[in-house]
Amino acid sequence: MSPTPAIEHVDAGSWRATVSAAVERGAELDCLWAAGGAPDPAVRLALRQGAARRLFSTRAEGSRVATIVDLLPAAEWDEREAHDTHGVRFDGHEPLRALVAHPADRAAWVTPVEGPDVHEVAVGPIHAGIIESGHFRFHVVGERVLHLDLRLFYKHRGLERAAEGLTLAAGIPVAQRACAACAVANSVAYAQAAESTLGLQPDEDLRRSRTLVIELERLYNHLHDLSALCAGIGFDPGTMTFAALKERAQRVNERIAGHRFLFGTVRVGEGARSIDDAGASSAHDEVQAIGREAADAWRTLTFMASAEDRMRGVGPLAKEDAERWGAVGPVARASGVHRDARTDERGLLWYPDLQPARPEHPAGDVAARAEVRAAELEQTCAILTGLLTSPPGRGSSAAAHEPASLGVGRVESPRGATVCCVEADEDQITRLHLRTGSYANWPVLARVVPGAILPDFPLINKSFELCYACADR
Amino acid sequence: MFVLLKRLQHLRRTVALPAPARPGSLALRHVDCGSCNGCEHELTNAAGPHYDLERFGISVVASPRHADVLLITGTVTTRMAGPLRAAYAAMPEPRLVAALGDCALGIGVLGDPDQLAGPVEDLLPVDVRVAGCPPTPAAIAEALLDALDLVRTPRREDRR
Ligand code: SF4
Repeated sequence: MSPTPAIEHVDAGSWRATVSAAVERGAELDCLWAAGGAPDPAVRLALRQGAARRLFSTRAEGSRVATIVDLLPAAEWDEREAHDTHGVRFDGHEPLRALVAHPADRAAWVTPVEGPDVHEVAVGPIHAGIIESGHFRFHVVGERVLHLDLRLFYKHRGLERAAEGLTLAAGIPVAQRACAACAVANSVAYAQAAESTLGLQPDEDLRRSRTLVIELERLYNHLHDLSALCAGIGFDPGTMTFAALKERAQRVNERIAGHRFLFGTVRVGEGARSIDDAGASSAHDEVQAIGREAADAWRTLTFMASAEDRMRGVGPLAKEDAERWGAVGPVARASGVHRDARTDERGLLWYPDLQPARPEHPAGDVAARAEVRAAELEQTCAILTGLLTSPPGRGSSAAAHEPASLGVGRVESPRGATVCCVEADEDQITRLHLRTGSYANWPVLARVVPGAILPDFPLINKSFELCYACADR
Repeated sequence: MFVLLKRLQHLRRTVALPAPARPGSLALRHVDCGSCNGCEHELTNAAGPHYDLERFGISVVASPRHADVLLITGTVTTRMAGPLRAAYAAMPEPRLVAALGDCALGIGVLGDPDQLAGPVEDLLPVDVRVAGCPPTPAAIAEALLDALDLVRTPRREDRR
């Protein structure tokens, strides 16, 4: 794996042309973010083509730069965020609605939807269950949803700002606590970015031990998501069965990594702990048992016509839309996008022969999103039992290339590709930006819901199962 | 489906917490004020088959108007301070406030101070404290079982 490529500095005047040329050659969005303050903040862009990455930067003179959202629709939220956090105006991005900021003026964030019988249904920020906080505003006629405005960032803790000035090692807890359910994926992405600025390359043990915790994280998350999906269709035996398996998976985490959410298992430049053979072998057997019982429960579910009926055809996302809007993770794969960050970035982790999961019916509906997770559970259990058969040591890293001022890391979290960008001045963080799988998929969800009836929203939402904390930071 | 039900029954017999020792019930309203989602996961787990809080008469209700306890996770962000106060104001009395997790208790908080209104204590009177990052489902279950006794003793009337 090569180090993060050098930054290509582009004049504000040729920003669009440069991006357009790259997109025409097939480049896709990894991440767009702003750095520095007024009057001339920098706008940076990471694009990816297969395993190759390109980094661009331009100065937004007088805090203005041309938009690229028409070239890369997936960058919509990125530009809105750069505006709210760094004051960058993106010319041509009209209207540039507030995202992170919460202005009192309704018109600043609500899409005007008018006509006979149109009314609004407002939900949240506090929801009616054990759910994170966020606000949904549905524009409906009768039960039919015409448009959905998301207003998240109620949980915005300013984590990225808080990271500025910290040492690279001290950035780990910030990335980790952006979200507990994606703590490992986020902190490995961060560690990779930090190591890239330091010129470090992980050794085999470190690659394997990180893969182990990433997959342990996926195991309990996918079990959780299937439990939530069963709750979404009102099938309690399924909800409870998968919840019990999730609890067992988290107990495995506790036993072999010392924390139910695997906190503290990632460090910059080295591994955090090694696993003894006895621990690995008991974890191996338990993971195998969990995998077997989950497969069993899933099979039971597929034989239930009423469950199938409730999920089939609900909340469809077409493949072209998934690609254009930058959907990631199980959501994208359920629509037939044959993509998984684990298979693009082979050099830093340990996935020698993984293929992205393919559902039998990649219809992009709730049923397909459930099916992808069931298929990925099998893969994850196989990867885990493989790794636990000869448990990796702690691992470390060695200098492999020149240090750089900017590093990018990318990891497939349970919710999809998560990108972390770290700008550093020697050992000090000057900018940290985390674009998680949830962040990529929230705007996609908002586009899938129109056309559905309101009572289907909770189910569609559960089939995406996105974190708010991951997006809000 | 019957296969799943049978398995759950077995699970309950073998691993669930011991049978309820105390009568009574508690209606909980959870409010996430800026957590990392870890405390939510553990709270959900506490309602799952291994701990099954419902058996003890402890359940999550959809509105603060039906709640005995306001269960708060996360350090309160500036944006959640208003909704939190509104939820508290909507509760019938007597009411309890539980701060769940280190963030809610103001321990080891991360974030930009400009975005944070402070720990729960700064905004509301806290009756139940559950430390941990996140607290385990067992610790949550234990604290809530203790809270069953608190609601029955009307010791907090003088505070209103
Ligand atoms: S206490 Fe820990 S788990 Fe709970 S919200 Fe805070 S950081 Fe997350």
